[in-house]
Amino acid sequence: MSTEIDVPYLYISDPSFAMHSEAVREARERHWYANTNYGFAVLRHEYVSTLLKDTRLSQGSGKWPDHNGVHSGLFYDWWTKCLLVLEGEDHHRIRRLLNPAFSFRHIEAYVPRFEQLATELVDAIIDRGEFEYVHDFAEPYATRVLCILTGIPESEWPTIARISSSIGLALGVTIKDDLPEIDNALAELYGYAEALIVDRQASPRDDLVTRLVEANRAGDSLSDDELRNALCLLIFGGMDTTRNQLGLGMQTMMQNPDQWELLAQRPELARNAVEEVMRMNPTTTWVTREAMVDFDYEDLHAPAGSTVHFFTQVSGTDPAAYPNPGMDITAERAPHYGFGGGMHHCLGHFVARMDMTIALRTLSQRMTNIRVSGVDEWMPDSGNTGPVYLPLAFDKR
Amino acid sequence: MNVSVDRAKCDNHGQCTFSAPTVFRLNEQGILEYDEKVDDSLRADVDEAADVCPMQAIIVTD
Repeated sequence: MSTEIDVPYLYISDPSFAMHSEAVREARERHWYANTNYGFAVLRHEYVSTLLKDTRLSQGSGKWPDHNGVHSGLFYDWWTKCLLVLEGEDHHRIRRLLNPAFSFRHIEAYVPRFEQLATELVDAIIDRGEFEYVHDFAEPYATRVLCILTGIPESEWPTIARISSSIGLALGVTIKDDLPEIDNALAELYGYAEALIVDRQASPRDDLVTRLVEANRAGDSLSDDELRNALCLLIFGGMDTTRNQLGLGMQTMMQNPDQWELLAQRPELARNAVEEVMRMNPTTTWVTREAMVDFDYEDLHAPAGSTVHFFTQVSGTDPAAYPNPGMDITAERAPHYGFGGGMHHCLGHFVARMDMTIALRTLSQRMTNIRVSGVDEWMPDSGNTGPVYLPLAFDKR
Repeated sequence: MNVSVDRAKCDNHGQCTFSAPTVFRLNEQGILEYDEKVDDSLRADVDEAADVCPMQAIIVTD
């Protein structure tokens, strides 16, 4: 006798679709996955944790340009060769050569620079009592962190931010119309990356680009093209995500003012605060995979080629994994999947964790009673989200 | 050298398997398996695995 399972359905392309909604919570309560208008959505923490690492599912973004009518050009060539979409041995080789430069001990050395940057940005607005969080803090902070890491002069951050936003258009459904702007921006970024590589090859320094240039495993090293592709991925993948996550972090902290005050009193909890923010309010609201073969798991049958989304915010607030899912920056928690997982786990997560820790700690030390002081504007709640415009008022601490 | 993995921290992402594939591997269920006694000739690879582990779950001792 078979039991009919009532699998929930979510229409995730609706602009009003919200991860933080009763409909999604109810779906998670009913079943571990939902059918959607665009593939399947895994909702529960236990299943996300297991299936995100399943090697029958590939990263799934590789065909994005093709699916949207883009089959050639600079962006196409870069995207289809970049680490994010590589699989199998091609992926493992590059990942292994890149990983050590992004390890905790190397990134820790940048702490004083990140602290200096956060302090400089806060100093500039602290006597005003109000500021626009995205443009006065999150965007310059996220972009200048990348300048510090790569050795691009920090004064050039507005150019890097513009290039990164233009390339970011490639993730939108209008990629085909935007292609000239995307390709031009990528060409500009290639220029930066190639100049950095040539410079560090001639004059090595104690920095990240030099470590990538010198990365060598058993006689294998990254070619100049692979180095350039990796540096472009670092800037493309590191800037918007960090800016958006900082915005979501501020949103979550404003919703939990007691936690903000606790953080101000106990700055050593800042690292945990970042984890809580990413668990409850991640910028990457879903991580996408594609079934490489017919994929069967319990009652889910995903035919080869179908899309499987892992809902990070939904799994991060699953009461089965987090009995008290409200924000608690002192709690020991099960891991969240805001950085994805498995072999495609975010390469730059130690950087992101470190720079966001310093940002939240610095802001909480200097500001209290932070509130929205005007009309805020947000991206849709699908894929990658965050504030576009977030005017805030605060009291100086 | 001796290798141990803190199972409370390990989340089976498998990044260590890229650094030291002869020491760390994921089984068919995707769970990490590893050798506890490892020849010192593999020290650099094992240290790298510990360094790059996203969960910082690998402990290497002499």
